[in-house]
Amino acid sequence: MNQKALVVIVDDEEMVITSVRAYLELETEFEIHGFTEPEQAVKHMENNLVDIAVSDYLMPRMSGIQFLTRAKQIQPEASRVLLTGHADKQSAIQAINEVGLYQYVEKPWENAQLLLIIQNGIERSKLLRELREKVSELDTAHSSLKNVQKRLLQAFL
Amino acid sequence: MSQPDPAEVSNETEALRAKADRLAAQLAEEHKMAELGRLLAGIVHEINSPIGSILSNNHVITRSLELVKKALASGDRASIEKANRQVETCLSLASIDKIACERISEVVRGLKTFVRVDSSERRKTDLNEQIENTLKLTQGEFKGRIEVETDFGELPPVECHASMLSQVFLNILVNAGQAIEGQGRITVRTRPEGDGVHISIADTGRGIKPEDRPKIFAGGFTTKPVGVGTGLGLSLSKKIVEETHGGSIDFESEVGVGTTFHIRIPVEQKKNTAD
Repeated sequence: MNQKALVVIVDDEEMVITSVRAYLELETEFEIHGFTEPEQAVKHMENNLVDIAVSDYLMPRMSGIQFLTRAKQIQPEASRVLLTGHADKQSAIQAINEVGLYQYVEKPWENAQLLLIIQNGIERSKLLRELREKVSELDTAHSSLKNVQKRLLQAFL
Repeated sequence: MSQPDPAEVSNETEALRAKADRLAAQLAEEHKMAELGRLLAGIVHEINSPIGSILSNNHVITRSLELVKKALASGDRASIEKANRQVETCLSLASIDKIACERISEVVRGLKTFVRVDSSERRKTDLNEQIENTLKLTQGEFKGRIEVETDFGELPPVECHASMLSQVFLNILVNAGQAIEGQGRITVRTRPEGDGVHISIADTGRGIKPEDRPKIFAGGFTTKPVGVGTGLGLSLSKKIVEETHGGSIDFESEVGVGTTFHIRIPVEQKKNTAD
C-alpha cells in the first residue's frame, strides 16, 4: 500500500475513540479520523476518501445502522464495521442485512482481532476500488477498440 | 362442641397476617428482579464501552512501556525522544481509564440502590441522588430514543426506605419509556413542598385511555403484552408510597400528549405508619 490507509471511527463515547486511536497509532501508520457525532462523519465522507468506517450501534440522534447506510450511499467501496456493546443478536442481523456489513465486532473488543478486521477491511476496499478502475479502463479500451474497428470497416467499405 | 379459644383464634389470625406480609414482600422482590432483568441489556451496553476502553488501554500501555524500556536501555537520543511521546500517550490513556472506571462505578451504584441489604431500616436520604442513580440504569435502554431532562430543586433529606423508593422511580420511568413510541422526552422534576417533597415524572408518550385510568393502580391490570409487564408495578408503587411512607401518588394524562406522575413523600415519617 503506497498510500496511508484512511480510517473513520464513530462512537458517541469519546473514550472509545481515544483508545482505538491510541492502539492503531501504536501499531500502524493509518490516518485516523474520530467523530462523536455521526452527522460530522457523514460530512467527512462526502468530502474525503475513506477506506473503512467503524461505527458504534447505539448513539443519540443517529444510530450506527443509519450512519453506515449513509456511508454506503456516499462511498460504496469503503468497508463498514459495526462495533457494538448491544447484547442482542437482532441488531447484528439487521445490520448485516440492511447495510451489507463487512464485520460485526462486540464490545469489549479485543485489539488484535479489531486490528485484523480493520486491516482486511482496508485491503478489501482498496481492491474494490482498483477493480472499479480496471473495469472503467477496460470500458475505455473497449470503446476505443470499437472506434478503431468502425474506422477500419469504413476504410474498407 | 366447645367454643374456640379466643386466644387461639387471635394467634392464628396473627400468623396468617404475618404470612400474607411475607408473601407480599416476596412478590415485591420478585417484581423488582423482573424489572431489573428487563433493563439488563441496556445496562450491559453501558458497561461494555468503558470495559472495552480499559482493556484496550491496558494493552497499549503495556506495549508502550516495553518500547520505553528498550529505548532507555539503548540510550539512543532519537529513541528516548520517541519514548517521551509514548509516555505522554500512556498518561492520557490512564486518565481515560479513570473516567471509564467512574462510569462503571456509577452503574454499579445504581444497581446497589436496589439491593441494599439494610432496606428494612429507614434512613435520611437525598432523593435527588437516589433518582440520579436510578436514571443510570435506564440510560442504556433510553439512549438514542428518549431524552431525559432533570430539573432538581434543593430537597431536604427524606427519612425513607431508599431502595423501595428507587423501585417506584424505576417502575414509573420504565413505564414512561414504554409509553413513548419512537422519539420522546421524559422530564423528572423535584421540589420541596410543605413538610414533604414532590417528585414529578412526565413523559411525552401515548397517554392513558380514560377507561383505563381508574384501573391502573389495581394489581394485575396491564395493557402491555405478556412478558413485558406483570401488571404489578403501579400497585406495588402505590403501596410503597402510601402505606410504607405515608405519601401519595397520582397522575394526569392526555391521550396522544403524555402522562405525568406525581409522588409526594413527607420528610419525616409518623411513628405509627405501617412498615
